[in-house]
Amino acid sequence: MSYDKCVRCGSCVKFCPLFDAVGEEQFSPRGKMYMLQVMDQIEEDEELAKEFRRVLFQCSLCGRCTDVCSSDVDLLRVWHEQRAKAIETAPEEFAHLDALRDALANVANIYGLDPEDRAIYWLDELEEEMPDLSDHLYEKGKTADNMIFLGCLMSFRASQLDVLRSLFTTLEKEGVDYLIMGAEEFCCGHPLYLMGDEKGAEELRQHNKSVIQDSRANQVVTCCPGCLIQLSQHHNLEDIEPLHHTQYFDRLFGSAPKYEQKEDFAYHDPCELHRILGIKTEPRSLLKKLGVEYREMDLSCCGGGGLLRMTDPDLSDKIIQLRAARERLAASTVITACPSCREQLLGNGNKTKDIVELLSDAIGGSE
Amino acid sequence: MKLRDIAMGANASMYYRLDFKKIRGVYYPRNETEVLDAIAFAREHNYDVTPKGGGSGLSGACTGGNRHRVMLSSLQMAEILTISKDQGYVDVQPGATPDEINALLEPMGMKFYVAPSSRDIATVGGILSTDGGGNDTWESGTMRDNTLRVRMLTYDGRQLIVDWDGVRSNDPELEEKLNKRGMTIHDVASSHGTLGFITEVRVAIKPLSTESVASALAEFEDYDALGQAIVQMIERKSPIRYGEAIVMAHPDVREDLNPPLLILEFVEDYEEELKEFIDIRKLDADEVERMKDVRIKLPKRNPKEGNQVALFEGYGFHGDSLRNMQRSLDEIDSLLIRRDLTPFAKYGHAPSKWYLGNNSPAYGLVMHSREIRPEGKSGEQIFGTVLDIVEKCEELGVTPKPEHKWPFSDKVKKSRMEELREALGVGFNTFILGNDCDSVLSSMV
Repeated sequence: MSYDKCVRCGSCVKFCPLFDAVGEEQFSPRGKMYMLQVMDQIEEDEELAKEFRRVLFQCSLCGRCTDVCSSDVDLLRVWHEQRAKAIETAPEEFAHLDALRDALANVANIYGLDPEDRAIYWLDELEEEMPDLSDHLYEKGKTADNMIFLGCLMSFRASQLDVLRSLFTTLEKEGVDYLIMGAEEFCCGHPLYLMGDEKGAEELRQHNKSVIQDSRANQVVTCCPGCLIQLSQHHNLEDIEPLHHTQYFDRLFGSAPKYEQKEDFAYHDPCELHRILGIKTEPRSLLKKLGVEYREMDLSCCGGGGLLRMTDPDLSDKIIQLRAARERLAASTVITACPSCREQLLGNGNKTKDIVELLSDAIGGSE
Repeated sequence: MKLRDIAMGANASMYYRLDFKKIRGVYYPRNETEVLDAIAFAREHNYDVTPKGGGSGLSGACTGGNRHRVMLSSLQMAEILTISKDQGYVDVQPGATPDEINALLEPMGMKFYVAPSSRDIATVGGILSTDGGGNDTWESGTMRDNTLRVRMLTYDGRQLIVDWDGVRSNDPELEEKLNKRGMTIHDVASSHGTLGFITEVRVAIKPLSTESVASALAEFEDYDALGQAIVQMIERKSPIRYGEAIVMAHPDVREDLNPPLLILEFVEDYEEELKEFIDIRKLDADEVERMKDVRIKLPKRNPKEGNQVALFEGYGFHGDSLRNMQRSLDEIDSLLIRRDLTPFAKYGHAPSKWYLGNNSPAYGLVMHSREIRPEGKSGEQIFGTVLDIVEKCEELGVTPKPEHKWPFSDKVKKSRMEELREALGVGFNTFILGNDCDSVLSSMV
């Protein structure tokens, strides 16, 4: 078992956003690994076992522990496996996740909303500016080089509208051949994956794969790192290349007009993007092409991942508060490239822009 | 019992299978008042108190043994309180780590020169309690050498301020008793949490070095050659600014290394003299960073099959045992192999400094080791090997560092701790000085 290899050195402790927020060892990666190592001594105690199952979901799955571990322990994998085991062992303790699972099973989005509405919200808002946008909505028989996969957050949240506007404006201005999955898009399955429900996630993936393949797209582009993890690592899209929008635009733009910067920027690396997917160069390359000056920050988490917003919103809030205070973000605008990070920052009252917003402004997209 | 009680047992030593029912309370105090409250609770119920820092030490002192006890973590007492660049000190709470301290000092051009390998998690309170060091000890000494003052609380809540001149206390009688016994920072160092809870440490800081250093790798034919090179460095008082040995590495983790070897950084002007007694190959900046990374990760690596175990740390090779390392290591390895323990890695700081139980300094190689844990061996059997190694070390003149071997061979230190506890009171980490300490540790493997 991988957790047996943990030597309990403690190098992971101070990097953990949950330990940082709470300050107690049971929230740290070492603490949890240790409890797995002595589980034979404690599992008979029902209350302890229950508490342990709970603490598994008090984690943003940022992966920093895996990053710093020198003992070849795949901590992220352990957390995923243990979450699946926890839900299987005591499903009644996770009834609060049933609404999410039911929503995904019934209507294929995390909000439980009518699947037809997946395109409606943002289309209604943008149609006046971009009257031809609806032509890009996928229907059976339509094909294009690029399929745009928005994900649930970007499809349904008003807070993401500016990013959508910038994304489509840029695609239009550059004459990109693209389709948007729209109502045909199902959730990528990432929330189910994060709770270890492979079966449920697979059903969603199968549908998405079928639609993307039917579109004959060579690439599927998404702004959401969580969706990209699913598309690139779990959808088995043979011959179709999943890309983050920063990767796509970094390739598309050999050079770019200079962004007229008025803001003091800081760049927040989304954990799922830079650490789990290894995409760190392209966002920076794009920012460099735009001539954007920004400060780098510590590679720590915003608290938005791992279902933490759902399983412990107070902890999720505390993590972003600590990050914002430590990095002095009050006077800065945070550049990011993830809808979940964006939600966290906006929720904490911070100014934020997606990289594509800067790109769109630079190319005169608003004109 | 709560999960926080269990999680407190997490520590890097092989002593981690605790009797959790004996943990009667877990506290994460943020200030002295909260420490006093926790100690008062322990005292009211006649529980022991076990201080715990980062839990990165390998002696198991932070487990508290098997007594009914309250565990007191310093992890939430990690503030850096005062920095005086002019007078060269920083006052910190005991839970601060060297990395945290130096992150604050670096922009000011200052540094705290105590750098154990675990400096990302080891706390200053813990490092002092074990008198840890790292690769700065040759130039800057161990933790005690870099400690100017310590504030502590005793089991009955009395306050102490200990420095190199003696003790001050809010209890004049206690102050007199301890000063009669000549208590200084020497005694807090390597006391493994048996004397009280450290609430604040004043550590020495110095300007960041601006001298030009060069880096090199030295590879040796055998252990004797390594030992003799280190002897030369000590005798010549070589200006080594970083010295780390990889003595041995199992094929699973050896990569392209050719141990025994030394990774060295030294004052640039010293190169010619160094070449007089060691064959070195100069390293560029990238190469030396890579070697340092390999070295710092080595203690945490695992074999391809099975798991590593930190059986015994702190082999202090000095004097004759340093000159005759081959024989010593051959005998130690034979012992390990006879006990079905496969040597996995041996590495350490050299040249280095540590203190013996009588507070006299020793200079040489502080070597740590890892072995591959055999299947089917009980904790008692594994621990039995530790005791055999202690005996072997005594025979070979290899001195374990007090930080790791407090109950075994350092009778002088043990006796001193008992003497001070007569004045201070018992109640802190009593198991360490108990006659059954061996069997307690054995039960936790």
